[in-house]
Amino acid sequence: MNVPTIVTPELQKRFHVPGRIAALAGGLLLAASAYLPWAYDGDALDNMAFLGGPSTLQFLGALLGLLLAVSAGMAWVEPWADRKGILPRLLMVSRRAGWTRGTKALGVGLLGFIAVVLIAIALELGGLVTIEYGGWVALAGALLGFVGSRLLTPGRAPSLEKVKTPAWLEIVSIAVLLLVALLLAAYALNQNDGGTFLSILAFIGALVAFILRVGAGGWLSAAGQRHRNVLVFSSFAVAFLFPFTQNGSDANMSIATQVLIFAATAVGLNIVVGLAGLLDLGYIAFLGAGAFTAATMSQSAFATIGWKPPFIVVMLIAGLVSATLGLIIGSPTLRVSGDYLAIVTLAFGEIFRISMSNLDGSDGPDLVHGSSGIPAIPNLNLFGFDFGKVHTVLGIPLGRFSNYFFLMLLIMALIVLVFTRLNHSRIGRGWVAIREDEKAAEAMGVNVFGLKLLAFAGGAFLAGLAGAVKAHVDQSVTPDQYIFLESAFLLAAVVLGGMGTVMGVLLGAALLKLVPEKLRFVNEYRMLIFGLLMVLMMRFRPEGMIPNQRRVLEFHSDDEELVEEIEEDLPYEFAEEH
Amino acid sequence: MTYYLDQLLNGLSLGSLYALIAVGYTVVYGIVQLINFAHGEIFMIGAFGALSTWIVLSWVTGGSTAWWNLPLMLVGGMIVAVLTAVLMERFAYRPLRNAPRLAPLITAIGISIFLQEFVRLFYGQIPGFPDAKAAIPFPQLEFFTGPAIDVGGLQVHRGNFFVMAALLICWIFLWWFVNRTATGRAMQAVSQDPDTSRLMGIDVDRIIVVAFAVGASLAAVAGLASGLRYGNIDFKMGFLAGLKAFTAAVLGGIGNINGAVVGGLTLGVVEAMATTLIPGQFGGPAWKDVWAFVLLILILVFRPQGLLGAKVVDRA
Amino acid sequence: MSSQTPTVASTESRHVGKEEILAARSVTMRFGGLVAVDNVDFTVHSGEIVGLIGPNGAGKTTFFNCLTGLYKPTSGEVRFSGQVLPPKPRSVVVAGMARTFQNIRLFPNMTALENVMVGRYCRTSAMALTSILRGPKYRREEEATRARAVELLDYVGMKGQGGHLARNLPYGDQRRLEIARALATDPKLLLLDEPTAGMNPQETRQAEELIFKIRDSGLAIVVIEHDMRFIFNLCDRVLCLVRGKTLIEGTAAEVQSDPRVIEAYIGSPDSDDEASGSDVATEGEAGNA
Repeated sequence: MNVPTIVTPELQKRFHVPGRIAALAGGLLLAASAYLPWAYDGDALDNMAFLGGPSTLQFLGALLGLLLAVSAGMAWVEPWADRKGILPRLLMVSRRAGWTRGTKALGVGLLGFIAVVLIAIALELGGLVTIEYGGWVALAGALLGFVGSRLLTPGRAPSLEKVKTPAWLEIVSIAVLLLVALLLAAYALNQNDGGTFLSILAFIGALVAFILRVGAGGWLSAAGQRHRNVLVFSSFAVAFLFPFTQNGSDANMSIATQVLIFAATAVGLNIVVGLAGLLDLGYIAFLGAGAFTAATMSQSAFATIGWKPPFIVVMLIAGLVSATLGLIIGSPTLRVSGDYLAIVTLAFGEIFRISMSNLDGSDGPDLVHGSSGIPAIPNLNLFGFDFGKVHTVLGIPLGRFSNYFFLMLLIMALIVLVFTRLNHSRIGRGWVAIREDEKAAEAMGVNVFGLKLLAFAGGAFLAGLAGAVKAHVDQSVTPDQYIFLESAFLLAAVVLGGMGTVMGVLLGAALLKLVPEKLRFVNEYRMLIFGLLMVLMMRFRPEGMIPNQRRVLEFHSDDEELVEEIEEDLPYEFAEEH
Repeated sequence: MTYYLDQLLNGLSLGSLYALIAVGYTVVYGIVQLINFAHGEIFMIGAFGALSTWIVLSWVTGGSTAWWNLPLMLVGGMIVAVLTAVLMERFAYRPLRNAPRLAPLITAIGISIFLQEFVRLFYGQIPGFPDAKAAIPFPQLEFFTGPAIDVGGLQVHRGNFFVMAALLICWIFLWWFVNRTATGRAMQAVSQDPDTSRLMGIDVDRIIVVAFAVGASLAAVAGLASGLRYGNIDFKMGFLAGLKAFTAAVLGGIGNINGAVVGGLTLGVVEAMATTLIPGQFGGPAWKDVWAFVLLILILVFRPQGLLGAKVVDRA
Repeated sequence: MSSQTPTVASTESRHVGKEEILAARSVTMRFGGLVAVDNVDFTVHSGEIVGLIGPNGAGKTTFFNCLTGLYKPTSGEVRFSGQVLPPKPRSVVVAGMARTFQNIRLFPNMTALENVMVGRYCRTSAMALTSILRGPKYRREEEATRARAVELLDYVGMKGQGGHLARNLPYGDQRRLEIARALATDPKLLLLDEPTAGMNPQETRQAEELIFKIRDSGLAIVVIEHDMRFIFNLCDRVLCLVRGKTLIEGTAAEVQSDPRVIEAYIGSPDSDDEASGSDVATEGEAGNA
């Protein structure tokens, strides 16, 4: 974050001691303020009107405050602990952490968090007068912490990843972190109040910024790389546990399932865009093709195809139909590339949508009932498992959407598997080579056309699978669900999250779907915001939130310093030399 | 026979609309090799600019639809469109000039969505302006709209005449601008070799801005003409029109101004004829966009240099 | 797997190979009105190094591109091992002809090792499903690819450099990496487009040694070069092109002493550069010879 340099290095040199004191005091003040009432009325956010009984949000604020105090104070603790000679190992670890950098990040994050909370209170209750004295104390603490942290010199760069940690500790840390993520996600999702939801997002943002700046991010990603299987497996385990945190509430599960469908499709798109480097602006058509195929072969009274094979077969057919479309859309890549290809895919997407609207019996054969689509698609029944019924497991009822959530999770696992395995294989290398220099790749014997077709067909196949499930989740399929804006929306998830990474796209897709669901006023402005976001991302961080390092290299080809830095510690996606 | 002539004329006027927009794609492409995907929205903004001008005028004139509104509306539309295009170039495209090709294209899609939504959400919030979430009726100016004119037994809609005349005038103006003015010649130089042009003392950044401005002015003309021809405008009008105009630009040979005009007219006629000449269920007006896009794909695949030849053929 | 590990030089290999590998018959390449390559005949026998020289703009690289399928010749035919090749770069590589580029075209954001592994692409077969399922066969192939790439890096003198990004390598190493990448395709014929351009004398000498080493392992080599000293040291035969036409073809000694060759170079506008370029090389060679 580039805060304008009002605080010059000279100023920092002179005032770093008072700065540290201020940050420490600000953090403590904030932590204390959690026991004071912040709001005039209990209706705002999660009841902050009590004296002595902090609400969850206040508690989270206090947590951040304490964190700020601790990380600001570490500079004094370290030499002290050295003299006494206690806990030398912990101290070694602490020496490698970028406490001061973390303090500076947290100073900003904390102020942001308090600002969001107070503004939300004022908006929900009507005016600044509804903020109680505790709120002002909190703001004062946050401001003090912010100003104090600004006065600190950034200090040493963290090198936590060089700390030798036992494997079990790493694995446990990964698991704990994922569990915390699950609980936070579940908690955030359960908030029906927009202000609370936004405040939690601000909290997560501040915490993540702190963790990254302190250097724990480097350590975590190193640990994650050493235990990739553990990481992947426990991620899915945590996702699998998610429905159990919802107590049978279908409202959140409906959102979660939609997020999962969207994310799965976006990861599929990322194979085409992120790995093969082909911009596909008509990708939603493949999801649509899968959905329409499944709908026409479903048990719905409006289905137009008499043959009713089991869903597994339908899903495969849906995938194959999409893949065939993918091959057709991909075939111009033999002669067309770059911007022209993007336009071709866009045109194909439009052709698909218009054709579906026209197949209504009057302008064409009556295959999908035109723009009214195929309604009343019944729930799935796989091997005697009825997706429409509530099943109770361990006393926790799991409703209709939970059932589909599990199914989508399986498909997601498949898509992620395809993505990562293809990425790190002969084929993935071919794709990178094509992205880097198509002519040279061809001259070195890489089957450029074949690989591009493979990306299109493979990505389309996976989207087709997701589409088949989507037809049953939505219970109806209409052409207007598959318009260009949806393709652009998918692309936004990929761009925002990070081209060529799974985690990035998952994060991007979750944010893009969740934020409008939870924040009513955002819903109205969502396309406006995402359009703007795409422009800003391309301008300032084209590689996305969680980038693929090779993509960083491609987008910042003239930043020599960055290139050196990446080369020094080549990440997982590069083939390392044994 | 009259029916076919009618369709031909219809196609030509539709094609003139495409041609006016297509020039914007082609001029910008010729100079920076950038497909300004958001150009369709400039057309839409031009139409809204013209409408806004009329609304502001109507506060004074009490809603007069006299012919003299037209030049004022045109100027208003152009100012808004040019301003948008220049800002867009300055803040979104210019920083990306050396970025990988994917970046400007994604930016263009972002801008396109942003502009559409911006108009949809905020146009109606300006006091006195109509809500833009649905189509807005466009003022029907006297003389330029009204009863069709009878030309040798053909009933010709006045809006059609206006579009075709506008294209003709703009074409002549463009020819003069590109070939007879210093700026125009500088544009030609930059399109052939930007680096050498820079060494020769041409301000390449300024030329690029000029290219965007020229394209935007013509798009504004098209926006106004479209409003007069169809009788209403909406925030979504730029998407399809932009895509069609791009098709026209490629059809004629992108980077080639005459190509844009020829391509636009051809596309218009093909579209009009396709609805009448293709027999059976797939020939109706519901399929005309499909046939236009099929044409686009076929050209991109089999003759990417277009009818008149593009400046750059290799698009790797 | 047809992995042909380059073996230690055998003294006989220079004389054994008389089999015709590449035969170009009256190749002509026209761009509009310009005839870039005009009716050129060209043969390469296995195990020999053939030089392709000529002043700038003589059509050397265009001719190269005709041989390697980047261009389809306007007329004439190119046979490789008796077969007429389809004018597709990929089929040419698969048939056994690999090339390097005049202006280096590595994959800049891949590591050196990955660059060489891409060269193995056409000699490996794992497709999508195999790559996803990762059976023992896939693992074996992937391991062999990696081992071969490491070996080739070693062979061209880049041992231990595999982890560096191609873009960060020094210039000489980039040239060598390109050769390693080309060798990874298991070629029978290697075409080098100005392999020493921009190199200092020491690097040039190393390149020369490398090329000899490759030739001695049984490959035929075609070299485009401006450095005359380099060409006449290296080549068994030399073809001189001027304005797209064959000026002379013969042994290095024949071409070297032919007055027309000297005239062609002196007559060309940039002859000064060429002359000074080879002078530098001469000084570098002096100590070695």
